[in-house]
Amino acid sequence: MEKMLEIKKLEVSFRPAVGESVKILRGVNLSVGKNESLALAGESGSGKTVTARAVMKLLPNNMNFEKGEILIRDRNVMNLKEQEFRKIRGKDVSMIFQEPSSYLNPVFTAGSQVLEAVKGDGPGRKERTIKLLNEVGLKENVFYQYPHQLSGGMQQRVMIAMALINNPGLLIADEPTTALDVTTAYGIVELLKEMMEKHGLSMLFITHDISLAVNFANMIAVMYAGRIVELAGAGEILNSPLHPYTEMLVSCLPEKYKSGDKIKTIEGKVPDFRDLPKGCSFHPRCPYKKEICLREEPGEMKRGEGIVRCFKYGDFVEA
Amino acid sequence: MQFIPLLFGMTFISFVIIQLAPGDYFTQLQMNPEISPQTIESMRRNFGLDKPVIAQYFYWLGNLARFNLGESFSYHVPVSFLIGQKLKNTLALSVFSIFFTWLIAIPLGVYSAIKEGRWQEKMMSFFAYIGISIPSFLIAMLLVFFAARTMVLPVGGTTSVFYINATGWEKFIDYLKHLLLPGIALTLAEIGWLYRLMKNNFLEALGSPYIVTAHAKGLSDGRIYFRHALRNAVNPMITIFGYTLSSVLSGAALVEIITNWPGMGRLILDAVLSRDLYLVMASLLIGGVLLILGNLVADILIAAADPRVRLR
Ligand SMILES: Nc1ncnc2c1ncn2[C@@H]1O[C@H](COP(=O)(O)OP(=O)(O)OP(=O)(O)O)[C@@H](O)[C@H]1O
Ligand code: SF4
Ligand SMILES: [Mg+2]
Repeated sequence: MEKMLEIKKLEVSFRPAVGESVKILRGVNLSVGKNESLALAGESGSGKTVTARAVMKLLPNNMNFEKGEILIRDRNVMNLKEQEFRKIRGKDVSMIFQEPSSYLNPVFTAGSQVLEAVKGDGPGRKERTIKLLNEVGLKENVFYQYPHQLSGGMQQRVMIAMALINNPGLLIADEPTTALDVTTAYGIVELLKEMMEKHGLSMLFITHDISLAVNFANMIAVMYAGRIVELAGAGEILNSPLHPYTEMLVSCLPEKYKSGDKIKTIEGKVPDFRDLPKGCSFHPRCPYKKEICLREEPGEMKRGEGIVRCFKYGDFVEA
Repeated sequence: MQFIPLLFGMTFISFVIIQLAPGDYFTQLQMNPEISPQTIESMRRNFGLDKPVIAQYFYWLGNLARFNLGESFSYHVPVSFLIGQKLKNTLALSVFSIFFTWLIAIPLGVYSAIKEGRWQEKMMSFFAYIGISIPSFLIAMLLVFFAARTMVLPVGGTTSVFYINATGWEKFIDYLKHLLLPGIALTLAEIGWLYRLMKNNFLEALGSPYIVTAHAKGLSDGRIYFRHALRNAVNPMITIFGYTLSSVLSGAALVEIITNWPGMGRLILDAVLSRDLYLVMASLLIGGVLLILGNLVADILIAAADPRVRLR
């Protein structure tokens, strides 16, 4: 089947103003099939946004691609010139962001910013824009309004319209609801699901909220310190998580409490990329660690539809 | 309308400060043996300077209400006449330099922000650094020296000798030629920081999240620079423009004095030194009005340019 997105062994490094460069993504493998939704979940700072921006080739200036491949619709885009890749942005792959208020330009109307995204200049661009604004739940007058006149939810709907105006096959949504209150967030999630149905859209849905991830997507990729540590279907993640980190995330979900249980929080903290623990980078927080975990890095092991990186499931060492 | 009390407050405080300092214009005259103490006393009375300071202020204010700025002590002519002559030259100099400063600094600032880190930017920023470091009077002095040596530009005054026989057009060109030296000096003095400001604004805009969105839409660099970044980078400059208008008098003064351009600078300096009360007050008043006008212009322009201001 056609893959909308495939990331192979992607490595991205960060070059600080002083000091040595630091690897942020350490061999990320991901793929999103047609009409599929993949959730990328993990704590703050695990590298989710960097992954998304790498796919858009919009890394911050102080970050570099080191290795790996990115394929969009089975086409390797790693070596495309900026000129060429620009044609892909907005047309084959679009992105929406965590804070719509700062990702919309404050001095232009919502409508003009959506309209501007339209590729090619056939007639009826404005009608198309207004129609899509309606479709994402906005009235026509929003076309003429400025971002600061809209609520956070409406701003995110404008962003969604902007991202979908050229009917891209793939949408990357980087924590699109994190900045919104609960009910507004619910509306946005429902809208995204509806858009997937209607437009045959595939989605890379980024979130730090594992319950939102399993609610939204069929496949979940769990990221830890710049690596995918587990990939599995939503049901498996929820009911039989393999990786100790996934287990930890899932055990914190409210629906997992039995009465009398203490409320659990994730213990330990996200490791510092400049000083990752030797061996499995999760070992300082892992209740199952064994001797090999301190020495070697676990490699990717197949488990059913998915993968896991943990020595609990065999001594396969990362090459 | 809140600026009316502002003007009152400003003029009142200045008046009191000037008049509470010991001595006045006539104290110097007392040194002159040829003027009798009686004459000086009657002059003081004439100008109402024998009354308390508050009364003097309201006397000045009353005259002002009748568009009478009073008479200059040292020149014995109405203050309005003196100022009318000089203000025109100062305004010409300021308009000239503001126009060219902005015309040059804004595009260079944008260009250099786009070329950040490359040799073009480094070179321009180096020159801007020099321009900012050298005080305006030094720039003016160097230019005067250069002009006097090479004779390419007339130095001092506003007119040439043949002025009287010249036609209107020739007079205008002649005036412009004289304006060139102080105009270039003032432009050079101001261009560095304006360039730097514009460059920093543009860089800041380029680093904003909405620029990431613009890239994510697949827009071209040109559109991102000149539509998305530029519009945002220019907004803060509008306030600066208003501020520039309001500092026209003080900004030009040093350059005027050094290049011998007959503007308000020399006039105000002499007036302050000789404590020519009404002349000083009138200059302050003009400064205050310019300040208010500058702010007003900035407010109007910013509302026109920024929807967040216009539409609350
Ligand atoms: N522009 C940047 N400059 C330097 N370091 C960065 C930059 N952006 C991200 N990082 C670093 O890269 C790492 C991964 O960041 P990333 O933003 O991808 O995390 P995330 O998983 O998206 O987290 P969050 O949930 O907070 O959005 C972090 O350690 C972060 O400090
Ligand atoms: S490899 Fe070892 S330390 Fe790492 S998660 Fe598995 S058991 Fe824990
Ligand atoms: Mg993020």
